[in-house]
Parts: sequence; structure tokens; C-alpha cells
Amino acid sequence: MPFHGGTCRSGQAPHGELLCSIAPPDVLARVAERGSPEEREAAIRTLVESVALRARRNAVSSLVRDLNADLADFSFMSGTPAVAAEKRCTVYDAQHGGHLNLPGRRERGEGDPPAADPSVNEAYDGSGATYDFYMDVFKRNSIDGQGLELVSSVHYLTDYDNAGWNGVQMVYGDGSGRMFAKGAFTKAVDVIGHELTHGVTQYTAGLVYHKQPGALNESMSDVFGSLVKQYGRGQSADQADWLLGEGILGSAVHGEALRSMKAPGTAFDLDRQPAHMDDYRDLPDDDDPRNDHGGVHINSGIPNRAFFLAATAMGGYAWEKAGRIWYVTLTEHLRPFSEFVEAAETTVTVAGELFGDGSPEQEQVRDAWRQVGVLA
Amino acid sequence: MLAVMKLSIVRGGGFGGLVTVTSADTASLAPGDAGTLRAKVEQTGLFDLPEHMSGPPRQPHPFTYAVTVEDQGRTHTVRVSEEDLPESLSALISWVSSVEGREERVVPPGLEP
Repeated sequence: MPFHGGTCRSGQAPHGELLCSIAPPDVLARVAERGSPEEREAAIRTLVESVALRARRNAVSSLVRDLNADLADFSFMSGTPAVAAEKRCTVYDAQHGGHLNLPGRRERGEGDPPAADPSVNEAYDGSGATYDFYMDVFKRNSIDGQGLELVSSVHYLTDYDNAGWNGVQMVYGDGSGRMFAKGAFTKAVDVIGHELTHGVTQYTAGLVYHKQPGALNESMSDVFGSLVKQYGRGQSADQADWLLGEGILGSAVHGEALRSMKAPGTAFDLDRQPAHMDDYRDLPDDDDPRNDHGGVHINSGIPNRAFFLAATAMGGYAWEKAGRIWYVTLTEHLRPFSEFVEAAETTVTVAGELFGDGSPEQEQVRDAWRQVGVLA
Repeated sequence: MLAVMKLSIVRGGGFGGLVTVTSADTASLAPGDAGTLRAKVEQTGLFDLPEHMSGPPRQPHPFTYAVTVEDQGRTHTVRVSEEDLPESLSALISWVSSVEGREERVVPPGLEP
């Protein structure tokens, strides 16, 4: 959330608990009641700002409807006043070292000319594009809303079939060529947007990485990763392919992409994502690697399809209406243990706040969740 | 003659959540490699490692491993996240993942073991 003076610290705790989860209003109220003088002041300031923001947004939304205007006409009022853009993307070469050697050797800083290594330039461009998307569309200043430097390390480990946000920076393996194509991770801007969105989630809703909250966490990363890609290409919802990780698969897996938001379960030969709650996989949340922490990458297909349905029903660019509803839901409402039904009901409520209760947009959101079987 | 030692590594998580199953046993490897396998397993002290070495994931997308060793009638499985992998176990996994004579397949998550 892009508030100033919030009770938000960045960084990692020893046991990984989220240091930077913006508290929901009831928690803030308790802190305001019982905290130390500094804590009370910070909590009260955050509460007042969030109330003011919501009231202003509701007032603007009513005005938009009364004047029959376009929400875009009022874009100067959305988000915080005059957010300074502080894009700082820095890319390092991990030189095949592991986590103890991060970030590695500095290769390119913000504003530097392209490096010799294409992976460095791809990571630089992709994180820059993600920063630009969040700033242009949502007035969000980096993933923490406060200008956090976006650090990336490429060539992590050797033939590493993985990429990720490790809590403080992006890390990219080269891929082995078997599961993922060599050099593929940095080439796919939706992959980069997906990973950086895990950072946004870390600083806002804090959705835990197992079962339904984990599947929502994964879905939010797929949603905003896709929007970064669509925004860069200037594609409307019906022009977009709604594929995640197109062209990144290696020789051991066969198909077009890793996931499809339009048609979960069809992206590649081993894609088993459900598109409806009837096919929800209630896997145990244990440390068995086959169980995917309760199916976080599998069940994300359901909220993914809900977003696709809502966005295509609304038409136009997916980030303008559906994206905004999902963004407000993620950054202002969802909490670490939120489940599918709560997320769905929240998007319906937010759609009502932004576009009016009973508006077509609200109905389209509700209908999307009905189609995937989350709402009745 | 030594009994056959079998090692299997199930890896899940990561960017796609896909599961790879890699296995090697001393009967299918060249004699030199079979000896290396025994030595590397010995180095990890695998039979004495706890069955559950990691808590909930601290970050999205680390790989999670289940390493099972079977030797002279004893079987032991260690489940551990990439974030907590001891150096010797990491070395064993890397080595088994590239040794000639291993078996390897990729499967979707959620299948019965």
C-alpha cells in the first residue's frame, strides 16, 4: 500500500515471518488502543489515511457515475497524491554461486547502458517493465510502494530450473534445457512480473504459501505477471493469449506454455490445473514434494480463470477495470489466511466501491466467480 | 558382495510446481560410480538425518526434496527444503542428477507416490 508513515519495515526475519504485512483496520485499531505512543501514532495515521483514501475513492466513483465520465478522467486522483517515481533496477551476475554468494558481481545499474550479457539486459528490462506497469497503472512506487530497489541476480547456480523472489531480491537460474529452456526465465516478462508480484503480496496481503491462500498467492502473481505482459504489448483482454511462460519449457515437457488462465489444464502435457471448484485438488499441506504445499500451483487455475472471465466480460484493457479491482483487493483487503470465497466476495465488494453497487462490472465479477464454482 | 543400495530423489516446488523423480542404484551404475554413490551417501549421514528438516516455506518457489535411501534392508526418507539443504546432501543430489545410468521422469504434482 503506498501510504507514507505506515508501520512497515522491509527485510527478512530469521524465521521468515513477514515483517512488512500491512495490518487490516481491526488490528490497527487495537494497536491504536493499546500500543506504545509511537505505535499508536503510526496506527492512527495509517487508519486515517486508509479511511480518507477509501472515502475519496467512493466520492470519486459516485462523481464519475453522476457525470457519466470515464474513470480515466479522474486518474490523477487515484492512489496517493503525487507519488514520486524511484525506479532503481540493478542486475548482478551470481556467477553460478549459491545463496551465500548473492547478489554476486554488479553488472548493470539504473540508467547504465546495456551489458554484454543478454541475460543481464533481459532481467534489467523485465524488472523495469514491471516497475513501470505498477507505477503507471496503480501509482505504486516499486513492490513495497516505497521505492524499493529491484535487485536481480542472473546465472544463479548451474542449470538451475527455477527463478524466484527470495524475500529481498530476484534470483534467476539458467535452466537445464530439460524442464525449462536455457536462458528462458529472463526472456519471459510475465515470469519476471509473476515473481516480483510475490514481493508485492509479501508487502501487502501476506498470503501464506499453502492451500487456498497459497493458490491465491500464485494466482495473483499470474494475474499481474500477465498484465505486465499485456501492458507492454498494448493488448486488450481479447487480444491477449492469457498464457504464462510461453516458450520457456524444456525438452522433457511438451506444450506451449506453463499455464493458461483462459483454459487451465491445457497449457502443456503435464498441466493438471482445474478450471472449476468441482475439480479442486485438496492435497495435504505437508513437506511431501508431490503435494505442492496443498496444491498451490494446481488450484491457482480456479482464481486465474475467474480473472480471465471477469476481464474478458468487461472488455478493453484488462488492467483498467478487472486489474484495478484485483489490485485493490490484494493490496488493501486480503490477509495471510484469506481463502477463495473471501477473495471472491471482496472483489465483488471492491467492484461495487469502484463502479457502483449493481453496476455491470460488479455483476461481471460475481458471475466470473460463479462460473468457476466459488460463489453460488 | 554388497547388497544393492538404492537412492531416489523426489523434487517438487519451484516455478511450475512440477515433480521430478530421479533414482539410481548401485546395480545399474558403472562400478566406479556405484562406489561414489556409496561414498557420497556415507558423507551425508543420510540414515541419521531427521525425517522432516524444514518448516513451512519461507519464500515461494524453493524446491522441496524427499530423498529416500534403501540399503541392506533399511529404508529412510528425509524431506527438506532447498533453503535448508546441507552442503553434503546438496552435493549428493547434484551428482545423482547427472550420473549415467540414473532413471529420471517428470510428473505433475498431486500424484500418489
